[in-house]
Amino acid sequence: MGTIRMDRRLFLKAAGATAGVAATTQVACLSYFKKGRSAAAENREVPTTCELCPNKCSAIAVVEGGLVKKLNPNPENPKSRDMLCARGNAAIKQVYDPDRIKKPMIRMGARGEGKWKEVSWDEAFDFAAKKLAEVKDKYGPQASLWSSTEGFQEVFFKNLGLAFGSPNLVRHPTLCLASVNLAYSATFGTVPSFDLLNSKFVIMSGANRFESIITPDTMDLIGGVMERKAKLVYLDPRFTVTAAKADEWYPIKPGTDLAFILAMIHVIIQENRHSKDFVAAFTTGFDELAEHVKQYTPEWAEKETEIPAKDIIRIAREFADAAPRSLYYAGRRSSWYQNDFQMRRAQAILNAIIGNWDQVGGMVPNAKLPKGEFLFMPWDEPKAPRVDEIEKHFPLAAKGDGVYLKLRENVLSGKPYPIKAWMVYKQDPMNAMPDQAKTLKMIEGMDFIGVIDVQMSDMAWYADVVFPESAYLERTDPVEVMAGIWPAVVYRQQVVKPIHDTKPNLEIVQGLAKRLGLSDYFDYTIEQWVEAEFKELPIPMAMEHMKKHGVWAASGKPVYGKTLNPDFRFVTKTGKIELFSQRLQEAGYDPLPVYAAPVQPPGDRFRLILGRVGYFTHANQSNNVWLNEFMKENDLWINPKPAERLGIRNGALVEVASSVGKVKLKARVTEEIRPDCVFMLHGFGKKSKLQSLVYNVGASDAVILETAWDKVSGNAAFHETFVKVANA
Amino acid sequence: MHEFNWGLLIVVYLFLGGLSAGLFFAAGLANYLEVDGQPAYPRVARMGALLAPWPVAIGSALLILDLGNWWRFYKLFVHFRWESPMSIGSYLLMLFTGIAFVYAFAWLPEDWRQRLFSKVPPTWKQVHRLNVDISAHRKLIAMVGFPFSIGVGIYTGVLLGAVSARPFWNTNLVAQMFLFSALSSGAAALLLAMVLDKREPIQTHETKFLITLDIVFIVLELFIILPYIIHGQLSVLAVKQALWLILGGPYTVVFWVFFLGLGLLVPLGIEVSELAPSLFKGKAFHGDRRLALVASSLVLLGGFLLRYIFVYAGQVSSFHRMGMLQ
Amino acid sequence: MAMKKKRYALVLDSRKCINCKACVVACKAENQVPVGNTRNWINEARQGEYPKLRIDFEPEQCHHCEHPSCARVCPTGATWMRKDGIVLVNYDDCIGCRYCMVACPYDARYFHEESGTVHKCTLCSHRVDKGDLPACVETCPSKVRVFGDLEDPTSRVHELLATRRYRVKEPQTGNGPQLYYLL
Repeated sequence: MGTIRMDRRLFLKAAGATAGVAATTQVACLSYFKKGRSAAAENREVPTTCELCPNKCSAIAVVEGGLVKKLNPNPENPKSRDMLCARGNAAIKQVYDPDRIKKPMIRMGARGEGKWKEVSWDEAFDFAAKKLAEVKDKYGPQASLWSSTEGFQEVFFKNLGLAFGSPNLVRHPTLCLASVNLAYSATFGTVPSFDLLNSKFVIMSGANRFESIITPDTMDLIGGVMERKAKLVYLDPRFTVTAAKADEWYPIKPGTDLAFILAMIHVIIQENRHSKDFVAAFTTGFDELAEHVKQYTPEWAEKETEIPAKDIIRIAREFADAAPRSLYYAGRRSSWYQNDFQMRRAQAILNAIIGNWDQVGGMVPNAKLPKGEFLFMPWDEPKAPRVDEIEKHFPLAAKGDGVYLKLRENVLSGKPYPIKAWMVYKQDPMNAMPDQAKTLKMIEGMDFIGVIDVQMSDMAWYADVVFPESAYLERTDPVEVMAGIWPAVVYRQQVVKPIHDTKPNLEIVQGLAKRLGLSDYFDYTIEQWVEAEFKELPIPMAMEHMKKHGVWAASGKPVYGKTLNPDFRFVTKTGKIELFSQRLQEAGYDPLPVYAAPVQPPGDRFRLILGRVGYFTHANQSNNVWLNEFMKENDLWINPKPAERLGIRNGALVEVASSVGKVKLKARVTEEIRPDCVFMLHGFGKKSKLQSLVYNVGASDAVILETAWDKVSGNAAFHETFVKVANA
Repeated sequence: MHEFNWGLLIVVYLFLGGLSAGLFFAAGLANYLEVDGQPAYPRVARMGALLAPWPVAIGSALLILDLGNWWRFYKLFVHFRWESPMSIGSYLLMLFTGIAFVYAFAWLPEDWRQRLFSKVPPTWKQVHRLNVDISAHRKLIAMVGFPFSIGVGIYTGVLLGAVSARPFWNTNLVAQMFLFSALSSGAAALLLAMVLDKREPIQTHETKFLITLDIVFIVLELFIILPYIIHGQLSVLAVKQALWLILGGPYTVVFWVFFLGLGLLVPLGIEVSELAPSLFKGKAFHGDRRLALVASSLVLLGGFLLRYIFVYAGQVSSFHRMGMLQ
Repeated sequence: MAMKKKRYALVLDSRKCINCKACVVACKAENQVPVGNTRNWINEARQGEYPKLRIDFEPEQCHHCEHPSCARVCPTGATWMRKDGIVLVNYDDCIGCRYCMVACPYDARYFHEESGTVHKCTLCSHRVDKGDLPACVETCPSKVRVFGDLEDPTSRVHELLATRRYRVKEPQTGNGPQLYYLL
């Protein structure tokens, strides 16, 4: 047979034609699918409010193809303006974290063993309600503890506790800022904001504003220091980022800030640099103060603080002369020493006598905005007294917040009465409280533990049932008013539907309420709740505006001086700013701050001090993959001199031991810390395997911190632990 | 320091590319030189021609596989960018490889050629048309190929030398260094091949030719390396810091002991000691098989190590230190 | 209509940089940078002995050079410079040879494993072309970064470079980097 001769030309023609057809088909298919995809895909921008820390910055979520791709700043927020910090940007990875709790889970093995069964919501609710009812029957509703952290949806959780009949709601402030809040309230009747944007002279004790948390205060301060030539004096046992940017840094001896402040007051009064008019018109107790501070000379303070007397004098003079645009920044996390309340009181007094109250660049009382309330069925007030005996031991402390560490002591002792059920919302007591062994004992004593959280914290790991809350990008929340120099209202609305079988806290609460026979108290939707809130707010077309903008700012210009008229009555006993506090005296506390030298660690030990970084929020976010990249494990900061003495090299594994526990982590030998202190970060050494990036990585400070608290506010004192450090 | 972008595959390719260039050069030269109208070094000429295309072919394959998307290598030939040493180099490489294969084909013994074409299906007439004896054109092909072989030998150096960001590379001597190393490797490889190929006895005059060639190239290499170091040490800080990598830094031992010592000076010494009696004392040249084996292997090792040191140390050397403020 | 020539650049006031990493995460999200790679970073310098100490931070990324050595060595022309100065990579033409990575004086590029191509900072050209700022510039809490057109006499970058002292990194390569660090 003849063979088919492949004519070259024919071949090329055929090849070309085939190629052409193939190419056009491919291109056609591609464009078809591309078009089809983008038409079906969801592309939109949704304004919302970030929840990765309590600052409530506004963000605009960019959704592409149904996924949250980016969070952009929302310049309409007068506080966060056009910034979004590392955490704000990383919120995306909170939603798409493979370690997230994806379904309700009930514990199978022992607590902390990590054996979980995924269950339906009904099963989880039924189980939890049954256990709670059992505790209620056997011990009374007060035998349940409801602990939560600040959040837009926290109110529902707290209400559930109250409706259940328990007075034992405990929140985070006594692990955080209760002392500073109480100190300023006791002095001014309110906690003011600090006008860092306009200040000319700022003193900060700790409050590592450029590093520990990135907030509008950070923005204002960096602008102040770098652009507006404001002066920053910073006291910290560590050379932090704030120290690096400050004009003056003093490695103050830990726990002696009170001495520094008292000496400053001494100098200012002695040299008559205080604002006499202001003091006369708006304060009481100046004479007592003047007499009281006579003993606190700069020379004396130098011995206590290790800050040269001549600098204390100079700073006092510069501070007073820059008034009213000078301020001693109050700080946020003030859970440092057992005298913290009195130290913050001294701060408040110092701020008061130079007359920076309600002035540009000084302290400004917060302007508020009225928010409506959804009227729901009220429940009976819980009958039993609080288990932390707060009225007896901490009469001045905020009752709704409780005193956490005292509460734990009482729970462990079983007196005044037992606590047998523990519901936790948005909190990780395992890491938030010191002396983890005690927390574990507290857990042991519970008949039931239920945790509501987005991720599997260590607390959730030790729970009996875990209710996964939807991440903030997946939910709509109640409206929040940001009181302050520029008050604003922020809104959080759902950006994407929950990607797992999770629910917003309200629905979780409602699920539990139903089975506890408390449905009537939670018979509303989030939309109804928000509607009611909008009713009182001075926002035109509120719902529409908020859905479109996410934030509403009150008038552009802040208002100063409203309280600076003789008719104004401060919310104090005397109606004036109380330099001398009768209220404190009546409660049995020092009415003026009295200094007592802090106990020093014995020769071979170090004081353990704590701090934060702006890419983690306390003990969480360290498992966020984008944030974890910046710090994969924590280490122990130690000065080279003691390190050499102990034979510790940089990067070596060391054992850090206190009287309550010991941990192992790597050493960071650095010049940036006092020789008598060591430092470690929070949020590592996790026990939860579903925090896979930080499970067993580094160490948890909670294990070695000892229990101590400030006796006036009940605020935890986290810097009172002395540790021994040695090569592991 | 982050991980190396160019790794062992690149080092091996640079070595193999240079090796082919050297093989081709030696083979072409051996064919060009005639005695009484006949090629002076026929065995070298033949072995060189047949061996030359393979290292570069393998090296090119490795190079293609090293790409992020290997199937995109064709894009190199859809664009031409005269400022990019890699663009020029890829064309050079392609052309050189082609010429080297043609040259090898020109040296293919008749029976091998027939056996090769017998593997092709008889219906592929167009392919069978290529079954011709082109041995008459050997000289022409060699002449055409010479500049490309030099080009390949040089461009591998230019590839590195053109990078102003890396002080260790950014010297105008790198190209010559690589070229002479390539030519020396080629000569050494042929020597090694001749020694290993026990089918024929060693032609001493051919061995002498290769050894002479190798000595010349090694000496030229030393003439480049010495100024590279001396002048570099007299140059600006960045260059001095770069040179520290081989003057006390992590690549010091491999440079001085293994590359310079074992890869250059020892084989040079062996070869000179072999050649010296016939050169200075008029004695007959006697090539020791084992010494030839050792010397040629060491030269090849040296050639490889030169590229290893340069590719790695060069990537460590940088004005810029990631993460460090300067 | 003749388009006026543009020259985009970044002016950085490193004194304000507090190493908060907001820019790094914003870039990561905006440009889908894989975990383990980064398009921008913060350099640190720590000096001194307790208690006399100093820390400096300095952001860095691709300098979008005027005479980019990366574009010069690219064998396919995949790396190229736009008329407005932004240096980009055409991923379709990139063969992943990584010559550009080796040639960059700032080690600003990374190899994108998934696509087998080389990536780097694009000054968020997709945002810039819409009139927005690059993600890193927008998000910065301390406002370290100023982005703009040097050829525009009304722009802030133009003003800063006219009135402030500044430096660029590694000018000796002749690349003409367009990241200006205020002194």
